[in-house]
Order: sequence, then C-alpha cells, then structure tokens
Amino acid sequence: MSVFLQQVVNGISLGSTYAVFAMGCTLIFGVLNIVNMAQGAFFMGGAYFGLEAARLGLPAPLALLVALVGGGVLGVLAELVIFRTLRVRGGHRWMGLVASLALARMMVGIAQEIFGTQVQRYPASTLLDTAWDIDGVRIQLLQIVILVVSIVLMALLALTLQRSSTGRAIRTVAYSEDVARIVGVPVGRTILTTFFLAGGLAGAAGMLLGNLFNVVSPFMGEQMLVKGLTVIILGGLGNVPGAVAGGFLLGLVEVFSVAYVSSSFRDAIGFGLIFLILLVKPTGLFSRFEERRA
Amino acid sequence: MNAAVAQFIASYSNIIDLCLLNSLIAYGLFLALSANMFSLATGGFMALGAYSSVYLTMELGLPFAPAVLAGAICGAAAAALIGAPVLRLRGDYFMLATFGFTEVVRVIALNWDSFTGGALGIVSIPRYTQTWHLVLALIVMVYVVHTLRGSYFGRAIAAIKQDDVVAQTMGVNVFAYRLSLFVASGFICGMAGAFAAHLNYFIGPGDFGLVRSVDALTYPILGGVNALAGPVVGAVFTTILPEALRFSNQLREILMGALVVAVVLYLPDGALSVLKLRRRSGKSGSGKVATATPRTKQ
Repeated sequence: MSVFLQQVVNGISLGSTYAVFAMGCTLIFGVLNIVNMAQGAFFMGGAYFGLEAARLGLPAPLALLVALVGGGVLGVLAELVIFRTLRVRGGHRWMGLVASLALARMMVGIAQEIFGTQVQRYPASTLLDTAWDIDGVRIQLLQIVILVVSIVLMALLALTLQRSSTGRAIRTVAYSEDVARIVGVPVGRTILTTFFLAGGLAGAAGMLLGNLFNVVSPFMGEQMLVKGLTVIILGGLGNVPGAVAGGFLLGLVEVFSVAYVSSSFRDAIGFGLIFLILLVKPTGLFSRFEERRA
Repeated sequence: MNAAVAQFIASYSNIIDLCLLNSLIAYGLFLALSANMFSLATGGFMALGAYSSVYLTMELGLPFAPAVLAGAICGAAAAALIGAPVLRLRGDYFMLATFGFTEVVRVIALNWDSFTGGALGIVSIPRYTQTWHLVLALIVMVYVVHTLRGSYFGRAIAAIKQDDVVAQTMGVNVFAYRLSLFVASGFICGMAGAFAAHLNYFIGPGDFGLVRSVDALTYPILGGVNALAGPVVGAVFTTILPEALRFSNQLREILMGALVVAVVLYLPDGALSVLKLRRRSGKSGSGKVATATPRTKQ
C-alpha cells in the first residue's frame, strides 16, 4: 500500500509540471492552430533563467518569476520574429512547424554556448532537503511546493481566460480570427499575449521540473516537448482543462509503469496510449464533441 | 582533371552518400506531402527497414539486394497497417498519430534486446551500400515521381492537395490515393533505412526518433513541395551546410537554425521559389483553410 501511495505522490508532483507545460502548448494550438515545436526550448530557457536567478541569490518565488517572465519573453520573440512574419508573408502553415523547430535547435545551440553542455544543479536550499515520512510514504516539501505553484498557475490561467478582457480576446481569436477582427479585437496584440502566456508557462514548468529532478541541461527541452505533445493529445488539442487532466494522467501513468511494469517501457506505455487514443477518440479523452477552444 | 575529380569524390564520398540518401528520404516525404500528409512516421519506417535488413544480412546471411527489398517491404507493410486508421485523421491529428508511431517503434527498438541490441544498438554492420546503389535508387525515384506527376494519378493527387472534399466530389477516391502514397512513402523510407544501416556500420534506436523524422520533413519543405527538384535541393542544402560550418560545433547548430529560419521566412514556398520571386503576390492566409478538426466520415 505504501508503495502505491508513494507512486501517487510522485506521479501527482511530476504530472503537475507536465500539466503546466502542456497548458502552454495547447493554448498556442487553440489560438493559432499550429503546433509550436519551440515550446520545449522555452521550457529549457526558463529553467536556465530560474537557475541564474537562484545563483544570484534571489529567493525561490522571485526566481520562479524570472523563469516565467524569461520564458514569456522568449515566446514573444518567437512570435515577433517567426510566426508573425510568416503570417504576414502568407507562408504555408507547415513552415511555422519547420521554423519553430529550427528556432528550438538554435536555442539549444545558444544554451550550450553560454552554459556549456554539462548538467547543472540548483544551489542547495531547505526546499530541496526537507521531507517527511508518513507511514512509509516520503513526501518532500519540494513536491508540495511544486504542486501548489502548479495549481496557482492553472487557476491564474483559468481566471485570465474566463474573466479578463484579454482572456475573452484570446478565446475570440481562438474561435475565429476573422470574427475577432470584425468585433474589434486587436488580433496581433492578442496573439502576442498568448505567446507570452504560453512561453511563461513553459518557462515556469522548466524551473519546476528542473527543481524536481534537480537537473538543468540544454537538452531537457526535447524530452519535454514529446511529453507535452502526448499530453495535449490525451486532453484534446486546444483544450486547456484537458491538458491539465492529461498532464496528471501522464505523470501517474509514467510513475506507475516504472513501479509495476518496467522502467524501460515507461515511454512505450505513454506512446501506446496516445496512439490508441488518436485511433479511437482523436478529439482527446475529455471532450464530448468537436470544437475549438482555448 | 580526371584525377582532381577522383580525389574530390574520394575525400567527400561520405557526404555525397549522405546527400544521396537524404535526397531519397526527401522524395519519400515529398510523396506524402503532395497529398497534404504531414508525416512524422519516417523514423519508424526507417527503423523497421534498418533493423529487418540488418537481421537478414547479419543473422541469416542473405545477400544485400533482397535484404534492402525486405526492409522496404517492411516499411510499406507498416504504412499499410497503420495507414487505414491513421488516414482517417486530418491535419495535426494525423501528424501526431504518425509521431506516436515513430516513438512506439523507437521504444520497442530500445527494449527488444535480442533483436535490436537495445540501447547499445547493433555494431560492425558490413558496409554493403555503394554510392551507385544510392544513385540508381534516386534516379529511379525521380523518374517515377516525374512520370506520376504527369499521369492521371498525379492530377488526382494535385486535386486532393488543393481540396480533398472537392476532389472527393469529383469522383477521386481520396482515401485510396492517400493510402497508396503513404505506403509508397513507407516503402521508400524503409529502403532508405536499409541503405543507411549498411552505410554507417552502426544503428541504434536514437537514430530513428523525432529528430530524424522532422529533419526528413525539412528537406522537401525547404526545397519546395511543388517542384520536382525541391527535395534534392533541400536535402543537399541541409546535409552540406553542417559540414561547411564544421569550424564550431555549437555555432554550427545556431547558424544552421538561423539559416533555416531565414529560408522559411523569406522564401515561404521553399528555396526553389527563388526562381519565381518576382511573381510573388499576396496569397496570405491560404494555408489556414486546412483546419485541425478530425473528420470521421469519409
């Protein structure tokens, strides 16, 4: 039983970082109808921003803010340099995919140039060392903090999307760009905001996961991109609540398959799952009918 | 003069082989893209072709030619198997499903130790692939694609690319055409996988993941998906460029990324569109028609 509970704890804390990351992916998909392959690079960038901030002696919440804003700025830059230019010039939508991949590659190169290829770690803190044993289940303070931060981020995003005028604008653009333009929504600025939010979520997720495993490397983004794609398929493309549920689901599935099946088949189970879901219910597990949302 | 050519070929034979191989893969993807199939299954098909052909040559001692054919057939069979369910999906769902396929194949390759050597891969594979094999395969490929483009088949595909609903209305069996192109793409990628395995002395699961699949898509898209020469141009460009930028490893990645971004931004219809830059007119938003809503009827 304690093994089971331990896996639940681990799965939820891991899944919450997946959920935060996937919300960004699905947001961009919902609004722009493109898969942004550079999302993993924003994630990696955020982890480094957070790392540098922590090394400068900033307290953890501020470092997280730095990671979030840093990731958001990367997102904004990507939109300004690549996606907006492509939209204006009328390139095929595949081009956005190719360009965002090239951008990701470029950013990995830049990160290697600046920080080196070696794995780096966050400076020691009480956050990393405190843990409790409850009935043989080990719960780290860090895991709780990560879960709480993730839930706060989810709530903030939900509030922004549902209650603020920016959120309404984002949902309108997601529904239809033309309709948004007709009713006077500043489409360009809204898309820019979306990229800031998505990049910020990716950056924050980078710092969270970097802390959870205490590993930051230039190559961490690629892995995460794969997870993010898995999650948004699970939850349905463009479906934000679905991404949250899918994130937790993937985290739990991974952790449980390591504990009860075999560590090497961890990824196979995840991918087998998405393959099946795409065949059986391509709109994702959590949608009842086809629609585009953000 | 002749000696100079011979020396050139000798010192660059590796890169020439790679260019040829990547061009071959590029045509496989070109076929898929010509019916709007953004396939990330390349890595999976190549892995199937590579592992099965290596098994045949190294374990069963079969000659190279049947092994390559078997690898290609493996790729085609996989495409036929996953094609029927996957082709129901549209746009991004199709892309993600093929991506899932590639990852499943990669993870199986990683874990099926007795057949694939697991994470360590298979080493000291005999080097059977000759440059002329690749040249021959490529020439046949270009010829077939060229012939297809002029045929009824090619026009039907062009109609599907324009708008598959209209094509269907006009009596084109969209599903059958898409499936046959997808199977052809699997065949070519499987063959390329077999060639690649017998070219590098080594194969491992890491060779056939997402990066491979995406690189393969980059070739025809960069070169141009409308022109026959597009795939070759894209493949050669992306293969030679990293070699030319050898002076710094990290800088190479950065420059490579920047160059691809530049091509995409300034030549949005592929590098070959530089020839018709003057006729460029505002066709903005034409790509947005293809939405991601999956269509269950068909």
